[in-house]
Parts: sequence; structure tokens; C-alpha cells
Amino acid sequence: MLAEPLAQIPESEVRPDTLLRVNNLRTCFRQDGKTVTAVDGVSFDVRKGETLAIVGESGSGKSVTAMSILRLIPSPPGEITDGEILFDGRDVLAMNDEEIRQLRGGDIAMIFQEPMTSMNPVLTVGRQLSEPMVTHGKGDRKSLKARCVELLRQVRIPDPESRLQAYPHQLSGGMRQRVMIAMGLACDPRLIIADEPTTALDVTVQAQILELLKDLTRRNNASMILITHDLGVVARYAERINVMYAGRVVEQGTAREIFKSPRHPYTLGLMASIPRLDQPKGGRLIPITGQPPDLANLPKGCPFHPRCPYAKDQCRQDRPPLTQVSGDHWKACWVDVTEVQPHV
Amino acid sequence: MSDNDILLEVENLKIHFPLYGGLLGHKVTGTVKAVDGVSFQVRRGETLGVVGESGCGKSTTGLGVLRMVEPTEGRVILDGTDLTVLDQKALRKYRRKVQMVYQDPFGALDPRMRVMDIIGEPLLIHRLHQDKQAYKERVHGLLERVGLNPNMADRYPHQFSGGQRQRIGIARALAAEPDLIICDEPVSALDVSIQAQVINLLEDLQDEFGLTYLFIAHDLAVVKHICDRIMVMYLGHVVEETSRDELYDNPRHPYTRALLSAIPVPDPDAEASREFDPSLDGEIPSPLNPPTGCTFHTRCQYAHEACRTVKPRLRETGDGGHKVACHLYDPEVSDVRAEDVMTDRLLAVG
Repeated sequence: MLAEPLAQIPESEVRPDTLLRVNNLRTCFRQDGKTVTAVDGVSFDVRKGETLAIVGESGSGKSVTAMSILRLIPSPPGEITDGEILFDGRDVLAMNDEEIRQLRGGDIAMIFQEPMTSMNPVLTVGRQLSEPMVTHGKGDRKSLKARCVELLRQVRIPDPESRLQAYPHQLSGGMRQRVMIAMGLACDPRLIIADEPTTALDVTVQAQILELLKDLTRRNNASMILITHDLGVVARYAERINVMYAGRVVEQGTAREIFKSPRHPYTLGLMASIPRLDQPKGGRLIPITGQPPDLANLPKGCPFHPRCPYAKDQCRQDRPPLTQVSGDHWKACWVDVTEVQPHV
Repeated sequence: MSDNDILLEVENLKIHFPLYGGLLGHKVTGTVKAVDGVSFQVRRGETLGVVGESGCGKSTTGLGVLRMVEPTEGRVILDGTDLTVLDQKALRKYRRKVQMVYQDPFGALDPRMRVMDIIGEPLLIHRLHQDKQAYKERVHGLLERVGLNPNMADRYPHQFSGGQRQRIGIARALAAEPDLIICDEPVSALDVSIQAQVINLLEDLQDEFGLTYLFIAHDLAVVKHICDRIMVMYLGHVVEETSRDELYDNPRHPYTRALLSAIPVPDPDAEASREFDPSLDGEIPSPLNPPTGCTFHTRCQYAHEACRTVKPRLRETGDGGHKVACHLYDPEVSDVRAEDVMTDRLLAVG
């Protein structure tokens, strides 16, 4: 497939407080002789101290985007084929192995969805917690014990001294996720990438973990990329939002803009299809029709057009570029939903 | 309400699992009280929601109704018949009336069976078809009814998406012409855009066939949408049971209130004005060794002396059959009154 020229955020729009800038990122996987483009021309930036949410369903490319930032894409079959990732002005894709190792767990920390499979079951919590600090030369194992206790205390694990000796299976899911967060925080990262950090947890524990993340990022003035499919979580914790569909950003804006005046039919569809706690019952949900896209077999033009109630001929032919709605608000859609949907 | 309206009655259901230990693993070293004295009624045509966090016993309650796990104690009365005393053969007849839709649309369908055989199996087991032609027509009709193309009947489960597989699971449940369907987290494994499709389908089928649902879920927003009455469970006990509107407008049990406050609402402005309840710290205790008195007292900000010693009863408070198991609403046990200690700041949910 030919790389189509896509609208990037123009240089003039890049703000001085930008910490991470992703430009036209393209990540492909080879599968049965075919190439599947999991992330297809994604551009966004993360500003200092802010929380950016990436929202999307399975197959939307949100996790692959996150993995690409730290170059954690398994290769083969995966490969970053195009684009630019600038962290604090440094080109991540051009870094050598040593430089990228310093970045991982150092300036950029990643918190994964499944705390059980992300930890080593045969090493103690203390050993795993001190590992990033040893790797990044912040002292030897002995002198780091106090720091580990301090970290566990920060993530509010009761009785931290004795927990250092515990193995992951001795902790509950919520506790494990707290340890994961402590590991992420160990080297004072400037950017935390949290990939569905609470999906496997109960709602009360979810609230505790997210409050903790918000607190800690605020205290350290760190930025966060929060990957989730839960629109409620997004509304509570994110300042800006990327909505992804079929490997592309379809809408981008502040949380207020996305929730109050969504401009992409997919975003509109998501908002209408979720049952909400803050609305009286009555009336039916309005689902998005059809099935989620098959990345190996995407339709021509806009990938959402087979499910879109407003699709017109142009949508079936040409892929819409990301265009500015206003200020921070961008959308990739040929249709002006304010014209076809008077109540928006 | 006449007795005729009640399709399912569960009385003091207890499901305890023995824990084996010792050198050879034959010694019973403990008991997990997964469900510990649960009673409820489901009226014909209504949807009763069962909510709670993992380990609260909601799924085990569902399995106990069907005797897929044997209850330790209690009665399950379906349409006037006590299922707990039936032998396996007699039980089978009643099992047709109660079908189940599972959470995991990948694990619930046999990967080696064609969709035709998956949906048709209940017809064979309960001898609900006349001949081969009728069987085929019935399966095709069911597929069509759940929104799938009858041409797909010869495919295998892996050829379908998660949402489509859940539709197949629903068609299989419908095949037996049940009165009651137990839905155990039927949409939580699905993508957000697909959840609404399945919820709408369940609602349509209920209207069309007069079905009764026991709807087990952890998502209070989904439950609010689909259920008529809701019971909240915590560590094997029912802590609150009432109509949907009462539960969301006027939640009484501190656990229900904490749950509601923990769920973020998809509206940034509303979220900015809501406060997070820091009191619900910690996690659900181990059911192997539950707290004494009220099992929630270890996490409850209103816990006082009575809560640590006396087990609260599920009793009606006020009007409209609003049941709650909390000493704050039981003047016979405690002097501490709910209206004196609770504030409403946590519940600024429209």
C-alpha cells in the first residue's frame, strides 16, 4: 500500500511545553505473508504534566502505539516502518540499544494491564522493584532497600518492609498493580505510559489505583498516556483525548471538546452506545451497527464508513486526513456532523 | 402480588466449598463460604440484577440456582417446585426452563462444533424438534432472531467475532424455550460499541418471549440500564435489595454508596465536581476468613462497635420494600443513625 500523505500537526502548532511528539507513526505486522498495518499514520503530542488518554476498542492500535513509543514491538513480525518519535527533542527511533535501554524504565515508564504476567513469579517484589534502579545505576541492591520501602509506601502498600520478601502470587491483583506502579516510578520517569492499568481490577480498586496514579504524576509533574476503553475513566482523569479506530486517530481534542462536542461519527456513536450512570433509565441504547474492523481487510477510504450512518461517496473513496476543527480539536472525517445532526 | 407472579424463589441459599489440605490432601482444612444465606425472589417477566465485586458470590449464586454447583443448604423453588430435592433425571426437565448465557463468548462455545449443532443441542437433549427439517428450520429461525445470517449455520465459532459469538450463545439459550435466563456478565467481555447491540437484543427478546432474567454483572451502569430490581452482594451476603430507581436515587448501604461513587461518569464537568470517596480503602477480604459481625466493617467509614460483633440482618427499611443489611438502619441494634453520619456529597450523580 502506498503511504498517503497525511496531515501532521504543523510545526507552527507545536507548543514549547511538548514532552513527546509522535509524527505519522506507522507500525506493521507481517502475518501469513500479508502485511497488517496496526498503527497507520498516527500523530499526537504529549505536553509536560498532562494526562493524554488514548481511547479505542480492541484492534484500534492503542496498545501498539504505546509499545512503539518504547520500541517494544516484537520484530519480527512487527516493524515500525515510518514516522518519527521525539522525546524531549531526541529521536527515539534513531537511538542505539544502550540509549533506548536508558530511556525504558528511566525517563519513560510503562505500566501494563496484567500485573500477574508482567512480573516475574520466581523473584521477590524487592528484587524486581530494585531492578530498574540497578539497571539505571542508581545504587547497588543493598543501598536501594530503603528506596524500595519508600516506593511501596508511596503506592500505599501496608507493611512495606515485609512485602519486599513476598512473591507476586502472594499479593492480590490490586496489590500487584501497586507494585507495578512502584516499579514504574522507581526512576522518577517524566512520562508514564499506562496501558489499561485497571481493566482487570474491581471498580473500587480501580478508583484507588487511578487516584494514586493521578496523585503521583501530579506530585512529580510527570506526564501520562492513559490507554483505556472506559469513557468514564477518561472523563475523570484525562485532560486531552485521542480517539483511535482501525489504527488511526479519528478525533483528538481536550476532554471537554470530545465529550461535549464530538465531531467524528465514531466518537458520537461511542457516546450514544454506552449505558450511563448519570442518566435516567428509559429509551434504548443506540449501538454502532456492524462489526469491529478487520485490520487485514480494511475497506477503501475511511475505515469507519461501513458502520457510519453519515457515510457519503467520498468516504468510500478517499481516506480523510486529520483536520483542525478549532484550536486543539482535530478530526479525520469528510462529513460535518453539525450539519447532518442538528442537535450536536 | 400473588404467588403466581413469582417464578423463582431462593431461600437461605448457602454454597460452601471445603478446602483440602494435609499431607495427602484429604483433610478438610477450611471452608470458603462463597454464598452464605442468600434469599430473593424473581417475578415473572422482570430482570433482577445481581451486582458486586469479584468474590462476592454473584456467579456462584447463579450456578447454585441451576444446581451446577450443589447448594450446601437452602431451597431453590422454580415455578413451585423445589429443585434442591430433585434427582438428576427430574432436574433435567426443570433445567430446560432455566438457561444460561456466559461471560466469555470464546470459552462458552465448543470450538469443534458447528453453529448448527451448538444451537441445536438443547433441541436434541430436550427432544423439542419433530424431524430433521423442523430442526434445521428452528436453528435458522433462532439465528435470524438474534441477528445472524442463517447461512452461517455451518461455520465454526472461531469464524465469528466476540459479539457474534455472544449472539450464538443467546440463540442456544433460547432454543430450549426457557422461562428464566441467567446472564452471567453477558457483555463485559465485549467491545464498547458491541455491548449496546447485545443489551438491546436481550431487551427485545425479553419483550417478545416474556423472558425473566437473572442478570449478574459488576458494571452498575449496565445494570441500571437493563434491570428492574437490583441486589448488591458483598462476601457471600446480600447487603441491599430494592427497585432500580430506589437503588440509584437513594442508596442506603455504605458499600452500595461507595461502589456508586467509585464509578467514573463519562462527563468531564460532572467529574470535576464529584469527589472520590477515599474511605473505601483496602480490598475485599478473603472469604476463607471473613470479618466478624458485618463483613463490610473492615472497609466501612461508618463502622462502630455493633458492626464488629453483630451480624446485620437484611430487613426492610422505610417504604417500597427497600431492604438493607446495615446497623445504621436498625435502631434495635445500634444508636448510630444513617441520617446523622452520612453526607450526600459523594453521590452527585445526576
